[in-house]
Amino acid sequence: MTEELKNLCAVSGVSGREAAVAGYIMSKLEGKAQYKVDNLGNIIAFKKGAKRPKNKVMFAAHMDEVGFIITYITDEGFLKFDTVGGINVSVILGKNVLVGKKQLSGVVGVKPVHLLKREDETKYPELDKLYIDIGASSKEEAEAYVSIGDYAYFDSDYTEFGDGLIKARAIDDRAGCALMLEMIYSDLPYDAYFAFTTCEETGDGGAAVAAFTVKPDYAVVLEATTAADIAGVSGEKRVCELGKGPVVSFMDRKTIYPKELYDHIMNTASENGIKAQTKTMIAGGNDAGVIFKSGSGVRVAAVSLPCRYLHSPSCVIKKSDYDETLRLLYAVLPEIAVL
Amino acid sequence: MLKDIKDIIRSLCDTSGVSGNEYEASKKVRELLSEYCETRTDALGNVIGHIEGDGAHILLDAHIDRIGFVVTSVDECGFVKASKCGGSDIRVLPAGEAVVFGKETVYGVFTSTPPHLKKDEKGNKASDDIYIDTGLSSARDIIRPGDRAILKNNWRELLGGRVASGALDDRAGAAAILRCLELLKYEEHNCEITVLFSVQEETTGGGAVTGAFQTNADEAIVVDVSFALAPDIEKEKAKPLGGGVLIGVSPSLDYDLSEELKLTAENEDIPFSIEAMGGGTGTNADDIRTSGEGIKTALLSIPQRNMHTGVEVCDISDIEDTARLLAAYITERGALND
Repeated sequence: MTEELKNLCAVSGVSGREAAVAGYIMSKLEGKAQYKVDNLGNIIAFKKGAKRPKNKVMFAAHMDEVGFIITYITDEGFLKFDTVGGINVSVILGKNVLVGKKQLSGVVGVKPVHLLKREDETKYPELDKLYIDIGASSKEEAEAYVSIGDYAYFDSDYTEFGDGLIKARAIDDRAGCALMLEMIYSDLPYDAYFAFTTCEETGDGGAAVAAFTVKPDYAVVLEATTAADIAGVSGEKRVCELGKGPVVSFMDRKTIYPKELYDHIMNTASENGIKAQTKTMIAGGNDAGVIFKSGSGVRVAAVSLPCRYLHSPSCVIKKSDYDETLRLLYAVLPEIAVL
Repeated sequence: MLKDIKDIIRSLCDTSGVSGNEYEASKKVRELLSEYCETRTDALGNVIGHIEGDGAHILLDAHIDRIGFVVTSVDECGFVKASKCGGSDIRVLPAGEAVVFGKETVYGVFTSTPPHLKKDEKGNKASDDIYIDTGLSSARDIIRPGDRAILKNNWRELLGGRVASGALDDRAGAAAILRCLELLKYEEHNCEITVLFSVQEETTGGGAVTGAFQTNADEAIVVDVSFALAPDIEKEKAKPLGGGVLIGVSPSLDYDLSEELKLTAENEDIPFSIEAMGGGTGTNADDIRTSGEGIKTALLSIPQRNMHTGVEVCDISDIEDTARLLAAYITERGALND
């Protein structure tokens, strides 16, 4: 079931440079759905179903991932960078990265702990102090391989481990893209639109435009959302948990989801014996925040995979949640198509 | 035919061998060493090789253990709590990949605190609570307190013959010694050589002091890594990566031996820098010099960036230069005694 996810996580596509991901997705849409690419790089696909729906339904998932952009090359050949999307210094320091079109191996440098004052041993440097070391000894050597404006991303492969867990780099939101591809490969009961969007991690540019073009009555955003179900975190601060199924949001920092739609999806899950959960904190945000404000307004829902260590080289999800999410989406489409 | 030094370094870096549990690394290094001499493993796990000679007896030491983690408890959800085993830099752990050596080798991820929990009074500081997420509800059956874990080996080749791995401290040093033995195959000398691949440098120093005690060596040369220049390091605290071998000068080191090494490097056109230290060296040299009746000891260091992280970086040319200096010194020392 997760083959597409594996393939999608192997492709790089930092916000603003989603072309490789888009290329892969289009190759998969060929003969399966009609699609077009808009001015912002969104892929808008239309999949014909068995019946015409009363409501126009759009599913949306973003193609871009968080990463880095090279901003400066020092005289000694080190690369200075900025983050693309929100990434905490703690998951950047001392990590392997791949840089530029040639996918050059690099490492994020760390001042040896031996040279720090005792009180600084656990303190993180400021982001602007970090640098990538590609092994170059001079600016000239580095410039032969890397240009300012090149993108870089975490060097982290797809790995299955534990009790059905998956670790990969760009699960946020290739998981959503993979789920949409799975739906497109299958026979759907109703027509549906699928928007593979750009630049979610840097400000939701793509989804707003895609929604304006499609003008859906209902939109379901497919995402990966922070699960804090880790050792040392208890109660509501865990937000959501792996293994408890898709996360349906009632509110986050960008969107208040229509209560009736939220309730309806939760009821649909329960009636079909599908596991589902919600977030126990008002946190995060996604493409729904721009989709609901599009045109004369869109009723939105967000269905997310619980994901540990979001925006890091090692995003972790559970396969059973992926399967359960797909089941929920199949159950939800015929419901909202005729609401 | 000289073996490719990069292959040797990589084969050493790709083994585990956390301090106090060096078996896998010792086995590998012994296999490599046995191509040059008789080898044995002592009570503490040191790998010792010996080459007969009528001349001066020289001890070459590099430590074979690496920093890592030791498991202290395992919960029912598959989270493994661990402590540092050696001076690991805990700032680099969040969302890093882990390998835990239980009854089976188990993959995991070092947990990372999500943003919504970072707003508390601690701010953006690394947590002393080290957890590895194995995702295994049966983790307790496989992993026990006392088992070791490491940041997963991610061997990477960078530009300009530079390599990255979490074990270059001090597998780079071990590789330099093996390379030296390879170079000596083509040289005449009468030195007696003992090679010591010592355990527990990162924790107790127990390997070097006991290993050296068994040798009666006239002099010792310790090979370890030291700080290479990087943008966030003051220039006086580090030496250039790719700038050659570092020859230590410190009260703990034998002045004349260090001087001899410097002269050899000059004569042989081997690039080097002097690493001057006001006290102890923080390496096996400190332990070896006071072993038994005392051994005249020198220290050669290979410049390294990002020490004690998963992305330690060395320049292979520095490792090669270190090997060349060792071999040239031994050849010269052996010739003097003719």
